[in-house]
Amino acid sequence: MAHPQLRTETSSDAVLIRAWQAGDERAAADLVERHARPLARFLAGAGAPDADVDDLVQETFIRAFRSVDRFRGQCQFRTWLLTIGGNVLKDFGRRAARRKVVPLDESVRDVTGDPHDQAEASETEEMLVAGLKKLPRLQREVFLLRAQQGLEYEEIAAALATTPGAARVHYHHAVRRLKEIVK
Amino acid sequence: MNLNGDAKLEALAKRLGATAAERLDVAATARKVVERLREAPPRRTIWVQQTWMRIAAAVVIVIGGAAVATRLTPLHPAGGGAHGAHFIADDLSDLSADQLRDVLQGFDELVSGDSVVVPDSTDLRELDPQQLRTMLRSLEG
Repeated sequence: MAHPQLRTETSSDAVLIRAWQAGDERAAADLVERHARPLARFLAGAGAPDADVDDLVQETFIRAFRSVDRFRGQCQFRTWLLTIGGNVLKDFGRRAARRKVVPLDESVRDVTGDPHDQAEASETEEMLVAGLKKLPRLQREVFLLRAQQGLEYEEIAAALATTPGAARVHYHHAVRRLKEIVK
Repeated sequence: MNLNGDAKLEALAKRLGATAAERLDVAATARKVVERLREAPPRRTIWVQQTWMRIAAAVVIVIGGAAVATRLTPLHPAGGGAHGAHFIADDLSDLSADQLRDVLQGFDELVSGDSVVVPDSTDLRELDPQQLRTMLRSLEG
């Protein structure tokens, strides 16, 4: 293992990536700690079951670190990571469909906090998640990257290998359809 | 909840997955990721090998395709004689050992037989009677 390089709390992702490539495991851990929660939110928003989010987050990071040589800085590391998360979730969905996993009934899910607040929040969230699941993948991911992660269209376009104009169109289609579905 | 407003939809989207993210033990996830990376480091060699295998397969397909296309496409449609030997060679390659022996025997008979005249000289006066007779017979068809 290489000696960890001198880093600060604000070391850029690029510095951490180079350190990881040089064999610094601590750099990999720092990247996970920095991006795991936004990735978990993205995966959950895209339809990942709560019980599988941790595994999917791990798998996404594993894939990302193994193919980090192909990351050319065309977008932010986090955006690139989220697109890999989308692929991981797609593969997970295929495997689940083959196994025909029956999701747990809502009543037996582990919920914490105030039951009334939980019920109200989960109801609206579920409406949106159900709507998102009905969208084409590209529309769903563009919507989440824009509305949930707050990314600019240029950034989204770079990550998804499309144009900012096309990303904008996908977003507006997604919003229109979500309003129709959830109405 | 009325989701007709874009702002409301975006506000809701921002909260989406927050519970799952809060539940995530980030330090434990980081530790597990590092452990998994340590157990199975990037297998660059295999990736490179696979890439070269794909390139080699593509080259074989291109060369094979070109060979098949060349064989199927007549290069000299008018010059059928140029292909005669080639097609005969192809036909011979399909024969068994016994069949080949028969063909060679027939060829020997053909060469040594009366039907073919291979005079050493173009001067008819130098031919012996046997050679003259053979040549005349061949001219008769």
